[in-house]
Amino acid sequence: MSYALNNPQEASGFVATLRKHFFATKFDAVMSLAFGALVIWAIVSILDWAVFDAVFRLENRDQCTYDAGACWAVIESRGRLIMFGLYPYAEQWRSTLACLVIIATMMLSCVPLFWSIRRLPILWVGGFATFVLLMRGGFWNMPLVTSEQWGGLALTLFIFSAVFVIGMPLAVLFALARRSDLPVIAKTFGLIIDFVRSLPLLTILFAAAVVVPLIAPEALQGNKLMRVVVAFAVFFAAYQAEIIRAGLQSTSAGQEEAAVALGMPYWSLVVDILLPQAFRNTLPSTINQAVITFKETSIVTFVGFFELMASGNAAIGTGEWGNQYVEVYVFLALVYFLFVFGLSRYGAWLETRMRLGHG
Amino acid sequence: MTNSLIKLVGAAAIALSSGGVASAQDANLLDTIKERDSLLCTGHNGSYLGFAEVDAEGAWQGFDIEFCKALATAILGSPDKLQVIPVSFAQRFPALQSGDVDVIIKVTGWTQSRDTDLGLQFSRPYFIGPFYTMAKTELGAQSIADLDGGVFCVNAGTTVERVLADYMEVNDVSYEPLAFEKGEELRAAFYNGRCDAIAGFGPFLSATRVNAPDPEAFTILGDVMKLEPEGIVVRQGQDDFLDVINWMVSALLMAEEAGITQANVDDMKANPPSPTIERLLGVSPGVGERMGLSDDWAYNVIKTVGNYGEIYDRTIGDGSRYKLPRGLNNLWNNGGILYPLVLD
Amino acid sequence: MHTILASRRFRRAAIQAAFVGFILLVLVGLVVTTQQNIVAQGIATGFGFLERTTGWPINFSVIEVSARSTYARIILAGLLNTMLVGFLTLFFASVLGIILALLRVSRNTLLRLVGTTYVEVFRNIPVVLQVFFWYAVLTHLPGPKEAHSLAGVAMLSNRGIVLPSFTFVENGLVYLALGVVAAGLWLWFTRNRISRAVRLGVGLGGVAALFVGLVVLGYEPGAPILSLPYLKGLRIAGGVTLKPEMTALVIGLVLFGAAYIGEIIRGGLIAVDRGKLEAGRALGLSSFQINRLILVPLALRASLPSLTNQYVWLMKATTVGLAVGYPDYFAVISTSINQSGQTLELLALLMGGFIVLNYSIAFVMNAINDRIKIKGRS
Repeated sequence: MSYALNNPQEASGFVATLRKHFFATKFDAVMSLAFGALVIWAIVSILDWAVFDAVFRLENRDQCTYDAGACWAVIESRGRLIMFGLYPYAEQWRSTLACLVIIATMMLSCVPLFWSIRRLPILWVGGFATFVLLMRGGFWNMPLVTSEQWGGLALTLFIFSAVFVIGMPLAVLFALARRSDLPVIAKTFGLIIDFVRSLPLLTILFAAAVVVPLIAPEALQGNKLMRVVVAFAVFFAAYQAEIIRAGLQSTSAGQEEAAVALGMPYWSLVVDILLPQAFRNTLPSTINQAVITFKETSIVTFVGFFELMASGNAAIGTGEWGNQYVEVYVFLALVYFLFVFGLSRYGAWLETRMRLGHG
Repeated sequence: MTNSLIKLVGAAAIALSSGGVASAQDANLLDTIKERDSLLCTGHNGSYLGFAEVDAEGAWQGFDIEFCKALATAILGSPDKLQVIPVSFAQRFPALQSGDVDVIIKVTGWTQSRDTDLGLQFSRPYFIGPFYTMAKTELGAQSIADLDGGVFCVNAGTTVERVLADYMEVNDVSYEPLAFEKGEELRAAFYNGRCDAIAGFGPFLSATRVNAPDPEAFTILGDVMKLEPEGIVVRQGQDDFLDVINWMVSALLMAEEAGITQANVDDMKANPPSPTIERLLGVSPGVGERMGLSDDWAYNVIKTVGNYGEIYDRTIGDGSRYKLPRGLNNLWNNGGILYPLVLD
Repeated sequence: MHTILASRRFRRAAIQAAFVGFILLVLVGLVVTTQQNIVAQGIATGFGFLERTTGWPINFSVIEVSARSTYARIILAGLLNTMLVGFLTLFFASVLGIILALLRVSRNTLLRLVGTTYVEVFRNIPVVLQVFFWYAVLTHLPGPKEAHSLAGVAMLSNRGIVLPSFTFVENGLVYLALGVVAAGLWLWFTRNRISRAVRLGVGLGGVAALFVGLVVLGYEPGAPILSLPYLKGLRIAGGVTLKPEMTALVIGLVLFGAAYIGEIIRGGLIAVDRGKLEAGRALGLSSFQINRLILVPLALRASLPSLTNQYVWLMKATTVGLAVGYPDYFAVISTSINQSGQTLELLALLMGGFIVLNYSIAFVMNAINDRIKIKGRS
């Protein structure tokens, strides 16, 4: 787009197109050839490994050797452990269903129809509650499965969505508090936000898992998963608060003044005028933050949870499949990629849409 | 004015907090467990072969897990009341202090600093773990001294790190340590040849060897670096709970000594061969009640997990794929150093 | 009127006082609870343990440590390890990021495609997974006996990459790093004041002199000045080893971080006003000159604030070193907590360390930003 200026006269035809795109200058030609060779080599070796030389079925397991291609049999054998972790074998259909519910919730919330300050929270709280009920069980014919046994993709999705559900309101609170015209409150929250933002997530999760029980009264402790999720949500909120604050700042001051002049109460001003605009203006950054959060759920593996990453490691932890680490890591990467790439493409689409003025 | 305000705030804070502090160090954890109707016991963050591992269906199994089950059965009457909490070696003590788990059964060596600084309390040893070194066979090493200059992998946050450092200094062997938080990473590093040797707990080494793609490629060297008694760990001040644990371990050993097995425990209960067995299996009343348990607690435990020997065989001994010899972990009359206490 | 003002002022004061009171209450409550818990559980407290010896060594350190070192020293070693990986990562990720940004804005479709694929792949996979992956790859290299030898000067095996090295005095690398930082500061603060030749001469000459000094001081009769790697028994001796733990961590972080940095810089490149470039062309500047004098400086200016955030983020991401057994600050503290039981004290050190580190990065980057931004505009 930005190069159109450089090429006022456009030639047409296949050769011309080729030349324009790949061989515009001598330097370009050299680079094209070098990178072209590299790309072809990469594609061929990846295909060889992943498809042509690969062993797909468990019954052909003995064909898996060091110099052969990928041994996808490991996924057939350990796939359920990777996807469900410690979740009871007989109940894993619930875990699958719960994952589908929460994925559907995520997808629905991407539809502009749901973008209202009332519909979105209802959708999320509803989807999230269904998810937890399904996972936990303890009614009808579904035996109770406590959170210690949750694992795999379901736990990853749970952490992600719980962080979102708890973190978002917290972020709004943080952002408003930091903008408060009461200096003490603004300063305190500024301090809290900056403090949290300068720490690695792992430290915060570690503190929540290990230290909170020592310093907080019993009534406030909850179980370990809860503590870790809340700590993660605070971490998320500290980042998201800054995004929202930027969004609030970008709304014109005139609107605020007009609302005050009309005698609008503070909460109405915030909920009806400021927040919707702030959210809309910062949607791309918010999606970006969601992408980062999804990837960072893999950090909870270090505080002893069997989410996707840890379940994958457990799958290759026995000598039986120890050499198939590449296959398992590639499989995990694909699962993460599916979610994260989907989200980030969506973010990019939104950005274009907004730039075109539909926002 | 300010002074009294501070006092007021302080008083309010104390009132606010003191209501809740209790449970983590509740005077009687046993009652809390019964009230909750579940026992929170340690698992592992991944698989610690032979002791706490996850099978393909995501279920826990292993020597330590069997003891967790036994304890849950002793207190609550059923192994289903057990909740296994995954926790790494490095995070087991914080997890206990924070009340995330009630008890640590995770081959934990009895050391002085753990006993004092950490405020823990150990049961009588339920397992004796010798520390060995396992090296790659191709190195041709006969003893640890032959591995001079090699890379030694260990589990992070365990006693092995210290034992190894001591041993190497005393024997004047130079080495390079490499510590891993997770067993999976440790094993992968060793199988791949990132390290020349793993130093660790004997049984764990055997299990690691059996699990290797090619067990013959690894040899456990003869030198015993140290003998470590492993205890079950509770928080300081949990005397009643610790009593139950000690007597549970004793009951498992006593059952083996008397030949009571999972299979014949019903017959034994019907026709007890001796007054001691009568007491052990709760035929004559009183042995459970003094500890706040049901009288047939030991019967339930044996019925559920079997005696000490059966647990051993099933998880790490001849009945398992690890085939570990009993060695020191045998009864005193079979060449080992384990013995039951006196039940009167 | 006066009363309304007064009451409004009073209300504001009351709200803030209540807020302060609440915070105080929470803090005092936490302290009291902590004390009760610690006393009840019989846990030892205080920083006295820092003077005790650890009894366990760590695998890698830029300063000398052993099982006899104190906790204080081993924790310092951990902090330095984190800084080492952090700065290596920032440097290489920035270089790769700039290359990626140039690929992404290239006129050549193929190059753009390569750049885009790279960014989308590496940005969308958790960094922990990437580090795990590279570690697995590096440790699957052949053992020392079958090591790949690169022209006889470097060796590649599952024990790491061994490069030739100079023999320095003890802690020589630390001194050298300090020297390089000092030279960098000198170059920075003297710019526009004295001639370039003098600045470069003093800066580079100083570093070179320090280097020679360290080598001379560290010289031991009989040992070669330049130590080359060679196979000795089970292992590779000589040279300096880049261990797989550190290498995997740096590779993983660099590849991941570069994808983000590349996007930030690309944003900067795109944000540059086309008119300025055309003005340059109108003045008869060559396209190289336009790039160097107009495009790159303006792009950097535009992307610095985001870069600062990314740098801080990358520095924090070094904690995933725990996954591969790299003894970084977090890993060392975590082991110390387990071995000494001083959870609260060690956690305070952990948080304090990261806050100091990250504020320093932000401070330096903001200082640079203040210096290069166009005066009179933000």
